[in-house]
Amino acid sequence: MWPFIIRSLEVATILLLAAIGELLTQRSGVLNVGIEGLMLLGAASGFLTAMIWGLIPGYLAGLLIGALFGLLHAILSITLRVNQVVSGMGVWLFAMGFVTYWADRYSGPLPPWVTSIRVYGLSPIFFLAIITVVVIWFILSKTHLGLKIRSTGENPFAAEVSGVKVMRIRYICTITGGALAGLAGAFLSLTYLGIWSHLPTKGLGWIAFALVMFSLWRPFILLGGALLFGFVWQFAISPETIYAGIPAPLPILRMLPFIITIILLIIISSERFRRKWWLARPEALGVPYIKE
Amino acid sequence: MVYIQIPKLKRERIVVLTGREAVSISVLSLAVAFIVFSGFLMYEGADPIEAYRNIFSFAFDQKLGLSTTLHRGFFILFATLAFIIPMRAGLWNVGMEGQFYLGTIGAFAVAYTLPTLHPGILIPLMLLAGALFGAFYGALAGFLRGKLNVNEVVTTLMLNNIAFWLVYLLTVGGPWAGIAESTSRPLPASAHAPIILNTPFTSFLVIGIAVILYIFLKYSSIGYQIRVLGNSPAAAKHIGISAPKITVLVMALGGAIAGLSGYHMWAGDPAFFMIPRPEAYKAIADLTYWGLIIGLICLLNSIAAIPLSVFIGSILVGSTVLVRRLRLPFGLDVLFLGIISLTFVAFQFFHYYRIKIKRRE
Repeated sequence: MWPFIIRSLEVATILLLAAIGELLTQRSGVLNVGIEGLMLLGAASGFLTAMIWGLIPGYLAGLLIGALFGLLHAILSITLRVNQVVSGMGVWLFAMGFVTYWADRYSGPLPPWVTSIRVYGLSPIFFLAIITVVVIWFILSKTHLGLKIRSTGENPFAAEVSGVKVMRIRYICTITGGALAGLAGAFLSLTYLGIWSHLPTKGLGWIAFALVMFSLWRPFILLGGALLFGFVWQFAISPETIYAGIPAPLPILRMLPFIITIILLIIISSERFRRKWWLARPEALGVPYIKE
Repeated sequence: MVYIQIPKLKRERIVVLTGREAVSISVLSLAVAFIVFSGFLMYEGADPIEAYRNIFSFAFDQKLGLSTTLHRGFFILFATLAFIIPMRAGLWNVGMEGQFYLGTIGAFAVAYTLPTLHPGILIPLMLLAGALFGAFYGALAGFLRGKLNVNEVVTTLMLNNIAFWLVYLLTVGGPWAGIAESTSRPLPASAHAPIILNTPFTSFLVIGIAVILYIFLKYSSIGYQIRVLGNSPAAAKHIGISAPKITVLVMALGGAIAGLSGYHMWAGDPAFFMIPRPEAYKAIADLTYWGLIIGLICLLNSIAAIPLSVFIGSILVGSTVLVRRLRLPFGLDVLFLGIISLTFVAFQFFHYYRIKIKRRE
């Protein structure tokens, strides 16, 4: 049972890191649909770096490439004002091609000397993810910077008038969000899988993206959602650890996280929740800011 | 003293982009993609000019790549049309992947249950089943969007993943499993697509759909309603257009077209005639996302999408020679497509703005 809980907490860590970054990005009014791609890039660069220099440089490499492509998304969607869905999709398609070219020739397990540090079986990155959530919650709701970020996402024109550098805030948030998605990818390939296989994210990035929508853009609801989906995801992969006699075949279980996502989406879109949801939604989300 | 005056750049909003401008923007972005990819080729120790010559001579050689080029190109065209219709109504259909899977399931279900039927009946039935299954899947997302206001981007992406596992369920160790590991049983010979002029007949079907779609969207009453809804939901409401109805309709139409590609893909290429391993069918299905990029590059013009889809098909097929003939590392071919998609996206900027040099006074 304990190994199963650890594995599902690891999935939750991946989701949490990617989703909290996306939450920050969206709070500043930028939609990044490409987190699946950023995770792929983070996973690949983390894996390749760890093969040479070890675990910690691997995580850092993931963080770095995530930030780099977060910057690319920022340039495309903030400065060049390309549609944000299109820009994110472009980054994702590029990542699929680039990662296949870059990392598939090293398919296989990590060298045995690269082992993840674990405390009672749990990776410290799990705690780092929790701390990140708390920190981002604190920044967003308790600090002056958070106020600036939120006002950028709600009404960039009013924010600019009151002296907030809208462009700068959006750039910072998008790059940070990208870096966190990259770290999530590195954690996926280095600690959760420990092995490279063709395009390993398998839709986790999209789940993380949907999580942000459910969370009503609040970090602590996001934390709960990530834990839930971590459990569901891991259960779908190894149901026998919970209960040996699950009658459903494996592929049906693998659909489960996606089906639950759709059901949750339907619930939050219902009349009762929609009001609340629209209020929570950053008003200027997905709209490029055009300075007058 | 010499003063170097740095001109100040200013962007100017483009209100109406002409087709000619759109073409020159695409050509420019392709040129950039070719230059960037040349860097990778040189890094791998290949001569870029030689490589590009090889790519296109292979892709358009009648004896070598041409039939596959056309086949893959028209497959992408199916996905592009499936993206264009909902986008005209302002909806993001990124569910072409799932609709293609469902179309595959529909077509194969018919072929496996009625293998003895005459091809003249069986093939239309397979196409119909594929279209219906795809339409159902598209309409599902359309219904959620139109009636329940659920964001269609996320639902279609989730439905894609669900459909992936559905095909997996049927093929890998499932009821359709073949003798070879994790592929499906081969299609009966009566289901194979007749080849006309080096390409399966479905290629002409999709060209026909593209032309009809162009006329339908431009001149029909429903096409008009779709365009109004896409341009201004408020205006649509004002003149009494039912947004939920149109939403379900366009998503179902898109889904049906993507569903047809299930037959085109597997029954139109002698290399398949079955559903291959999961990695292989997933790699094919990932091509459907090109529909989104091509659709936007062509300004949602379904006729302009025809040559561009075939061109992308030629790069897809031609760049396999980099790995097979020139012995360059695996994955370089998909990298090329990735770079093209990124430059296409970056050059979307020029669809909305042009850069003007502003003189300092």
